[in-house]
Amino acid sequence: MIACVAVVGHQNNPLYLQSFTGADDALKLHHIVHCSLDVIDERVNNPKRSVITLNESYLGLLYPTESYKVYGYLSNTKVKFLVVTTDLDVKDTDIRSFFRRFHAAYVDAVSNPFHVPGKKIISRIFAARVSGIVKAFAPGTYG
Amino acid sequence: MSLVAVFAEFRRDWAEALRFYEEAYRALREETVVNKGLMIATSTRLPPVQRLVEIRAVAEQLFFKISTLLLHGGKVEEAIAWFNRHFNSYKHLVGLDEVSFLHWDWLSRQFLVFAELLETSSAAIPNTLSSHFGTPESSLTEWEIQPAYYYQLAANYLREKRYCLDNLLSTGDSEFSRTSGKVPESVMPSVFIGQSARLVEQGDMIEVLPLSDAEYVQYALSEAQRFQDSYEIIALFRKACESFTNLKAPRLASLCSNRMAKEYFFTEDFTDAKKLFDTVSSLYRQEGWVTLLWESLGYLQECSIRLDSAKDFIEYSLEMASLPIFANGDQEIPDSKREYGPAGLPSQSRREALQSEVLSLVRGEEIVSRTDRGCSIAVTKEQPVRIDVDIISPLRMVLLVSVAFHDQSVKPGSPVMFTLSLVSQLPCSIEVDELEIEFNQPKCNFIIINAVEEISAARSNGDNQDVRIETAPSIVLPTNKWLRLTYDVKSDQSGKLECLSVTARIGKSFKICCQAESPASMEDLPFWKFEGMVQTFPTKDPVLSFSGQKVIQVEEPDPEVDLILNASSPALVGESFVVPLTVIPRGHEVYSGELKINLVDARGGGLLMSPRETDPFSSGNHHVELISISRMGDDDESRIHSDKIKKIQQSFGVVSVPDLRVGDKWSCKLEIKWHKPKSVMLYASLGYSPNSAEAARVNVHRSLQIEGKIPISITHTFMMPFRREPLLLSKVKSLPGADQNVYLALNETSILIVTARNSSEVPLRVKSMMIQSNSNKNETPYSIQHVGGVSADDSLLVPGGEFKGVFSVRPKIDSPNLELGSVCLNWNRDLTLSDSEDSGVVTEQKLPAVIVEQSPLVVSLEFPPHAILGIPFLFYIKVSNQTNLLQEIKYSLGDTQSFVFCGPHDNAGFILPKMEYVMSYKLVPLCSGSQQLPQATITSLRYSAALNPSVTATTIFVYPSEPNFFVADNEKETILAKLNL
Repeated sequence: MIACVAVVGHQNNPLYLQSFTGADDALKLHHIVHCSLDVIDERVNNPKRSVITLNESYLGLLYPTESYKVYGYLSNTKVKFLVVTTDLDVKDTDIRSFFRRFHAAYVDAVSNPFHVPGKKIISRIFAARVSGIVKAFAPGTYG
Repeated sequence: MSLVAVFAEFRRDWAEALRFYEEAYRALREETVVNKGLMIATSTRLPPVQRLVEIRAVAEQLFFKISTLLLHGGKVEEAIAWFNRHFNSYKHLVGLDEVSFLHWDWLSRQFLVFAELLETSSAAIPNTLSSHFGTPESSLTEWEIQPAYYYQLAANYLREKRYCLDNLLSTGDSEFSRTSGKVPESVMPSVFIGQSARLVEQGDMIEVLPLSDAEYVQYALSEAQRFQDSYEIIALFRKACESFTNLKAPRLASLCSNRMAKEYFFTEDFTDAKKLFDTVSSLYRQEGWVTLLWESLGYLQECSIRLDSAKDFIEYSLEMASLPIFANGDQEIPDSKREYGPAGLPSQSRREALQSEVLSLVRGEEIVSRTDRGCSIAVTKEQPVRIDVDIISPLRMVLLVSVAFHDQSVKPGSPVMFTLSLVSQLPCSIEVDELEIEFNQPKCNFIIINAVEEISAARSNGDNQDVRIETAPSIVLPTNKWLRLTYDVKSDQSGKLECLSVTARIGKSFKICCQAESPASMEDLPFWKFEGMVQTFPTKDPVLSFSGQKVIQVEEPDPEVDLILNASSPALVGESFVVPLTVIPRGHEVYSGELKINLVDARGGGLLMSPRETDPFSSGNHHVELISISRMGDDDESRIHSDKIKKIQQSFGVVSVPDLRVGDKWSCKLEIKWHKPKSVMLYASLGYSPNSAEAARVNVHRSLQIEGKIPISITHTFMMPFRREPLLLSKVKSLPGADQNVYLALNETSILIVTARNSSEVPLRVKSMMIQSNSNKNETPYSIQHVGGVSADDSLLVPGGEFKGVFSVRPKIDSPNLELGSVCLNWNRDLTLSDSEDSGVVTEQKLPAVIVEQSPLVVSLEFPPHAILGIPFLFYIKVSNQTNLLQEIKYSLGDTQSFVFCGPHDNAGFILPKMEYVMSYKLVPLCSGSQQLPQATITSLRYSAALNPSVTATTIFVYPSEPNFFVADNEKETILAKLNL
């Protein structure tokens, strides 16, 4: 199950962060997402280490905590997408497919002429779409 | 099994040992699962609490062995996988609530042990491991191979243990504590791993007795209380934090710092906690993580109350109140204190509460700490609080001040519009009692007072009574809405006028001082720049919002002094050109005046010199030179003033001007000399003080372009004497037009004609023209004499007019390169501006070198100046041999219609050395008028040179009859009549 999804701007500032656990763990999730940015920096700045990941936007598993796993995805405009899951065993293809949908939703949201690039995403439609994607996500759902 | 394994290990059979340890661990795991499944303790040996402790201890022991063996074998991935399995197997095996702290303690120890194992075997970790991170092949990530990751988790679980223990101790009504109540004595670890026993002394015998669970819990509790977990937690976090910092993972490091700071906070070490929270919050501020910052600021707020710092408390509270809320989490959850710290969940209502809390504090109320009711802070008159906000301060969100002058420059003494715009992001409107605007010119400072406040009250506060005071109906700052106030500002002092800061006073003893910002160069607000707000402008006029500046240039007062520069005509190269300069005070008096003169090339380039050219001017290589600045009038006076001249350089001069009253007049003349024809800008600037007391200076600038022109162009020509032709061999040999050399014959007189032409636009007067020898010796290798020309004394040379000087030159030595010296022309202007006419200007031009050689033969033609029709005359051609050789010549005389002659047409002859050969012809003119003599050709056979005398040399005028120049009046008519015929 997905605990949280986040969009982080290129100044490493949060643009969108939504928790789906229902519990009051926003602060914890904020901390987890924030710390995962270190791994993204590490992978992006050390191309030697990430020959494979540089060619694609999917960054893979970033950061395992005891009860969560964080996956990352980097867009061409250096916007970072992060997913925190509680499933400890998730297929890579599922996560990739999830990120593709998530990215598409983001692109649609920022294509809104009233959206100023670099500002927080406050679109309700985006939020609804993302929560739809999250709800549809289950390991093995996507091929 | 474990015994077999130990034995294998002893035998250094690592693989075997590992296999048996794994087997033993699996068996233990099975037993645990069975135990758990039956929910009862199947073993009768131990009660359930101690049983669990024993299982964990055995598991720990086995896992330690396994991971050590794996890590030493370099199998890091397997070791980590084993660790994860180990952790997952036991993490839910919490046991009873009363002893849950034992579980967390044990978990923490697992992480700590594994971290230390990893650290000691870090050399065995292969480098290739890192390249797989994030790929499907590897389930590991970067930090999982770092000991710091496990240290941090160990600290986390230790924190959990401490929390459970604190809970347990604070409630203190557990079942076990009720039942037993007494801590058993002499408890020690038993011989079996994970078991404890009580020693009972009975006489000499020492008996080992098993413990009941209640006794064991009491024992464990008392043991746990003895340890200072916080120090351990801090040490672990510090270790992790340092490692992460070295690994360039600032965010993980700051998470560790954050936890460390919380631990310090828990142990009531507020100074250390505050220091750490401050560093952590700066990262969150920088990256805009509001929720994380909120948590840290909440702790910082508490720290400042406990440290009794009202200023810090206000700063942190105001920053929190002005933060945008990231998510809409308005619900308050009871347990959120532990999760979010003392500040609780960030929400709009919390922001509003914080603001009102701060406002009540600055208006005199006391604020009590949330964690310790005994602690409180207050703002009093005796200890006023002043907060400074600069352009990088996070408190810009609380109060942002933008100031703009409506103009870019202003005359001194005249008012200029000045708009002061304030905005605040605080959730509720804030009322300011007084605004104090500070400029770099203190005389311009003013205060704006809320009309509700009493002016007298404000005055009593201010110590200086002469500050301008304005009133505004109300100074209320609504959320994110610019409050714009426009006033006139007047400055009497020229120079820069800059608004430095605006201080807002709220209450009696709280001030917030904001550095003023120009709207044109204003940075976005931190945090709020990521919010989708409507963009607002600090001023109503959008142009001013984009270009407005907090600085204005106060101009100098207008000068009321005339500075007159005059130059009637272009300057001439070589002369001392005089430019009169006059200072006439009109409205101002002139005190401590200073006049600066500057000469600049009018075509640009600045300096009036060419570094490459090395002209032999006495003054160096300046093309135009300022020679002197002298007082107009007689010489004595100028000498008096000359000591006041401070400095004169070749293109720059400074001279002091005496004090002048209105109606006075002071003038001087600038003497400038041109060495090259150049156009020059003459800049004169007078700086003075309008009155003797004040230092403010006024400057007057004037400039004048002056052309420098060449006054006279000098040309020259060499000529042979009339009807005399020396044979110059090198001249004959040289190709015609090949070189421009002048050949002169040795010991023969040549004529030099020098022409001076006035190329300027002013009439000049030539005083003298002479040829000056370059050599200083008395004996020159030639003799030169002035033989004639236009009257040399003060002859007037109108523009375009020419002056000719005629000189005879007689070289005395044979030289291929004879310097003849230079032409010196002394001249001055016809209507000179200067009084010093005596000297005049000398223009010098060097004559080119000439080639002098011995001429072997000299031909001269002799015939009378005129002839009369029909009357014969004699025509001699004389050839003089100047060599010591016998010379053979041929000569011929052609026929012509105008003359008949007697003598040979063609002939030849020999000339003895140093002798002259004379050919004589008798000619009878047949036509009157200017007639060409028969063409004579003289050829020297030795030199193969022929001479054809020029047409002018062989022209003669033939009168029809004997001319009678003294014609009587009565004969005049007959002559005229004859002429008409």
